[in-house]
Amino acid sequence: MGPPLLFLHAAGGAGQWHEFHELLAGRFRVYAPDHPGFGGTDEFGEVEDMSDLVYHYLDVMDRLGLDRPHVVGGSFGGWLAAELAVAAPHAVESLTLLSPAGLRLPEHPIADLFLMTPQQLGAALFHDPAKAAGMFPAEPGIDDILAAYRDMSGLARFSWTPFLCNPKLERRLGRIVAPTRVVWPDDDRVVPIEHGHRYAGLIAGAELRVVADCGHAMYFERPAEFAAAVTEFLTELTGASR
Amino acid sequence: MKFVFFHLMPYPYLPDDFDTRYPSPSLTFPNRYFDRETGNRLYHRYLDELEHAERLGFDGIAVNEHHQTAYGLMPSPNIMAAALARRTSRAQIMVLGNAIGIRGNPLRVAEEIAMLDHLSNGRIVSGFVRGIGWEYFAHSINPTRSRDRFNEAHDLIIKAWTSDEMFQWISPNYEYRYVNLWPRPLQQPHPPIYIPGAGSTETMRFVAQRRYTYMSVYAPTRVVRRWFDGYRDSAAELGYEPDPEKIGLSIPIFVADTDAQAHREGRDQLMWLFHKGLKQGPELMNPPGYMSPSSMRGVLAAGMTPFPQLSYEDLLSGGYAVVGGPASVTARLRELRDELGFGQLIGLFAIGGLSHERTVRSMELFSTEVMSALRSDQPATTG
Repeated sequence: MGPPLLFLHAAGGAGQWHEFHELLAGRFRVYAPDHPGFGGTDEFGEVEDMSDLVYHYLDVMDRLGLDRPHVVGGSFGGWLAAELAVAAPHAVESLTLLSPAGLRLPEHPIADLFLMTPQQLGAALFHDPAKAAGMFPAEPGIDDILAAYRDMSGLARFSWTPFLCNPKLERRLGRIVAPTRVVWPDDDRVVPIEHGHRYAGLIAGAELRVVADCGHAMYFERPAEFAAAVTEFLTELTGASR
Repeated sequence: MKFVFFHLMPYPYLPDDFDTRYPSPSLTFPNRYFDRETGNRLYHRYLDELEHAERLGFDGIAVNEHHQTAYGLMPSPNIMAAALARRTSRAQIMVLGNAIGIRGNPLRVAEEIAMLDHLSNGRIVSGFVRGIGWEYFAHSINPTRSRDRFNEAHDLIIKAWTSDEMFQWISPNYEYRYVNLWPRPLQQPHPPIYIPGAGSTETMRFVAQRRYTYMSVYAPTRVVRRWFDGYRDSAAELGYEPDPEKIGLSIPIFVADTDAQAHREGRDQLMWLFHKGLKQGPELMNPPGYMSPSSMRGVLAAGMTPFPQLSYEDLLSGGYAVVGGPASVTARLRELRDELGFGQLIGLFAIGGLSHERTVRSMELFSTEVMSALRSDQPATTG
């Protein structure tokens, strides 16, 4: 069983129990819900923007009875994780941000996923092109296309403009009290690593760790390494606090 | 039958490596390819053609709105309508339409159309469109809110035109505490409304409920037939049969003196329109949330071939366009009218890089030979 861990998924990967989750589940009780409008979750039309999404997840945590879970989020989910820890600093035991979106750095813009073809998306997300090929079917059926369109629509709803960020987040990061680790793939072509330096610089005590030979798809491309990075951080913490 | 001369105002002078180098003439196609002098001449040429259409007896002259694209040079259709308003006197001036889905301030559209109605002495037709997918990138409007924004903006504009009392407007996307339109439009209760449809059943119902004019966009006859039938079905569910004039077929038309000449002169220009002007992947056409899941499923299931993959022969046999000498064009349009049951023909004559001289010749042949023949036919019977 282990302590509770709330995992907040990225733009892709809703509805999937992946090797990465399985590895974490060996040490933690992993909760991996789909965001509203993603994967198998309903639209919840009243959840219009990031602040609504934060309240939605505070409700989810209450409903699931999650008492101070470790919160881990990737990319879009990393942004959401940071927002949760800003809004409810004491509701979060620890915070692990995996290449989170959320900051607005005009000199280091996030790549426009919305404008990419599936081929371009695969090339942008993965360090190793062979792994990209496995993620995107060569000849997707109508249901595959509709599922991907639904997830992207979910993402657009929260992040079309301002583009994948909350301009106010940066000045609020000082509210975070949970021990925080920021993890970045070394070949991130979607969210530049400067965002990682900014997060690590503004959250008290946060450290930035880099995973080698990996693209923004992170735990899809290197599930073992990303699971290890999370586990190592959380083990250090629990070791220190107990 | 009612005849409309529609102008897209394309910028046809693309670089030689356009096909291999650029995904589309829209959104990101570099504006350094807009030559200032050439563009300047095009605007005046195109406005001349619209004015000439009135002299040739077209019932309407039409403009539309597009942003950041060589496909069409009218970011503000209302400015073009204003340029035409006092240079013409008889034809309806049709703005097909204002892209109210992407407007930050739709009340401005209500104001401008009301002004245009006065400048044109009551000849304005007001089309409303959502805006093409790429325009949601261009103007930073969230496409997941597109349909709501369109519906709210529409309702606000109609109320602003028709209300005799100041009101407040509060809806999810817009808040106005004081709506009190000066001027009110000249036409009562308001200018006629046209809405294009591309298969969405929501749009068919929306248009049928309000008895607006429903018009098609580029598509093969078999698909347009489904759209028009859907519109007629929506009207039937509401207990009425729409006047055929409220069903408009939009279609590129090129007429020359003979069939052979028309194909010789028209082929490359039609190919420009469908292979270059309309070159755009799904990413540009349907940004996330722009389409409802059911509409998206319908589009995918319809399996329409992307425009750049259609041959010239496909375009003609499929009914995407009509090209020929006057007799052939007349016969083909009669066929389409009988198949589709439209009572309004919205023709695009300045196709691709067609020269002014050939465009005018095509318009004149259409007017003197095709239009007159079709006007003398019995009224169309619906599908």
